[in-house]
Amino acid sequence: MNFGTLTALSRSGVALSVALLAACAGNGEGLDANGRPLVPDGSTPPPLSADFESIQENIFTPICSVCHAGGAAPEGLRLDAADSFNLLVGVPSTEVPSLLRVKPGDPDNSYIIQKLEGHAAVGVQMPFGCPTTQPCLTTSTIALIRQWITNGAPPAAAAMLSTPLAVTSIVPDRMESVNAPPPQVMVAFNHELDLSQLATHSAHFEKLAPGAVPTVIEQVPARISVSSANLRALLLWPARPLSAGHYRLVIDATSSSQISDIGGQQVALGAPDERGETVISTFDVEVLP
Amino acid sequence: MNQRSLLAALMLTIVALLRASPAGAEPYLAVQEGYKCNVCHVNPTGGGLRNDFGLTYAKVLLPAETVDNAIDSWSGKITDRLRVGGDLRTDWTRDTAPNTPSQQAFALEQFRVYADLTILPDRLGIYIDEQVAPNGSQNEEAYVRYGNTTDGFYIKGGQFYLPFGWRLQDQSAFVREVTGISMTTPDKGVELGYEHSAWSAEFDLTNGASNATTGSGYQVTSQVVYTKPIWRVGIAGSSTQSSAGDRRVGGLFAGLKTGPIAWLAEGDIVHDDSLGRTLAAGLLEGDWRIRKGHNLKLTAEYSDPDRSVRNNQQTRYSIVYEYTPLPFLQLRAGYRHYFGIPQNNEENQQVILFELHGYF
Repeated sequence: MNFGTLTALSRSGVALSVALLAACAGNGEGLDANGRPLVPDGSTPPPLSADFESIQENIFTPICSVCHAGGAAPEGLRLDAADSFNLLVGVPSTEVPSLLRVKPGDPDNSYIIQKLEGHAAVGVQMPFGCPTTQPCLTTSTIALIRQWITNGAPPAAAAMLSTPLAVTSIVPDRMESVNAPPPQVMVAFNHELDLSQLATHSAHFEKLAPGAVPTVIEQVPARISVSSANLRALLLWPARPLSAGHYRLVIDATSSSQISDIGGQQVALGAPDERGETVISTFDVEVLP
Repeated sequence: MNQRSLLAALMLTIVALLRASPAGAEPYLAVQEGYKCNVCHVNPTGGGLRNDFGLTYAKVLLPAETVDNAIDSWSGKITDRLRVGGDLRTDWTRDTAPNTPSQQAFALEQFRVYADLTILPDRLGIYIDEQVAPNGSQNEEAYVRYGNTTDGFYIKGGQFYLPFGWRLQDQSAFVREVTGISMTTPDKGVELGYEHSAWSAEFDLTNGASNATTGSGYQVTSQVVYTKPIWRVGIAGSSTQSSAGDRRVGGLFAGLKTGPIAWLAEGDIVHDDSLGRTLAAGLLEGDWRIRKGHNLKLTAEYSDPDRSVRNNQQTRYSIVYEYTPLPFLQLRAGYRHYFGIPQNNEENQQVILFELHGYF
């Protein structure tokens, strides 16, 4: 193959590729600004304001969740609408664990603000690549996020009481295998919980023997707590580290504990078993040597 | 060509011939030269610290002008067992998006230093890649390596970048963003690698980025590449088990040299259970080595953030001129245009950039 042929081939390759790819950008028909299908009434999101719903709709969903979503979310921080609040508010950052990602009432000491403003102790400014490959958030945009945090970082108003109290996620759960004893199990809800209804020692972990019929071979007491920075996340702490094995977390049959939100709505974490106990989560601990 | 340049060229030829397979620095250089990643880099999967050959290449073959005393001016070796290196990128950029005020700024993109300590020659070593600026220090890679990274099996343990597709200089390329595997997302675990003749293969077992806060789940990543002097092809796959939802990624990539132009192509598809979506991304890059020290990079990219939704695709086109006047110094100027749905300003931005890149 001579040089001229190769050059012609290269030019053809460029022309073909550009022609193929140029036609591929979507025209956005039937989609909202985030590229999602429009709801039937075709409503558009309101402009950015200092509330979580607006920040989610205008910032987290269209910009942040491009990377911070799903199974590859950097630092485990998922910023899609279903997960962002519970993984932001009152949760220690993984890069600087002494700082909460969002510390209600204190934007200066909220790690998300430091990352957005570009003066965090670790890592680069967010959104990733700004200002080289995409614009940084403007000062006025960050000011609205600051204002939301100053206001106490409340959840979206729509999520507070208009929908029934429900569990949004449990970690670990679904027969999940964890490679180290989990320090706690987190049960996240869509509403803030009423702490006065919680009995803090009404749950325990049960280690089960292998086999078709669950046989409890060890019980580990659990303590229930709720972070004051995030009243929507129930944390259940084992009294001692869990050794390797198959576990389930149950609410005691004799417990008078109720899971209810500040509006009085109650929720059942699961159907009681034959002993009247409710299994919240089942998981395996695989402690590596 | 003077005597010293002749000597350098001779050294390069000898080193290249001694290698199991020839090799480069940025992936387009590897394709242009027909090299595997480990020919120029200490890390067998590419990027980061340059080895003896990589430094000599950077001093002699890459720049427009070869400085006479550059051959012995910097070897990267502090002692016989300790090698260091680094990259500093600083730039000026201007972003313009519809209905949005333009932004322009000077920025220190990154200053990274690398170190490799050989404990047992050709068998045991420790490697570190640390970003020291901007902001505070952040460890990118730190691992112990045992085995032969040029011909045979090796194992890494610690924190490192995952092997998946082209290890591009631009981490915001669609193929890197959609797969979530890039040089911004190192992970902790172990890697078993194999290098022999035209073959490179890696198998990684790591935590998985999404499991950083849960202490649960894992990620398995594997890649196989077959490299010939004017072409190469690779296949990569990754599966993450996570409480956030499982995620599976597959990719094919290839390189081809046609005269002075090196072509890079990659296609990836992702299924993420937590998003309930299947995503796709593609890349086609042409690097035209106009003459020594001058490279024109043209890139066309495609991204579909949800295969089940129509009319939401994005494309991005870039033209970047790279001028390497002297050893260890590169100037880059470029223009990128994003095309996406018209109702999203960010998906339709334009970026102008000028970059100064110093490395050693």
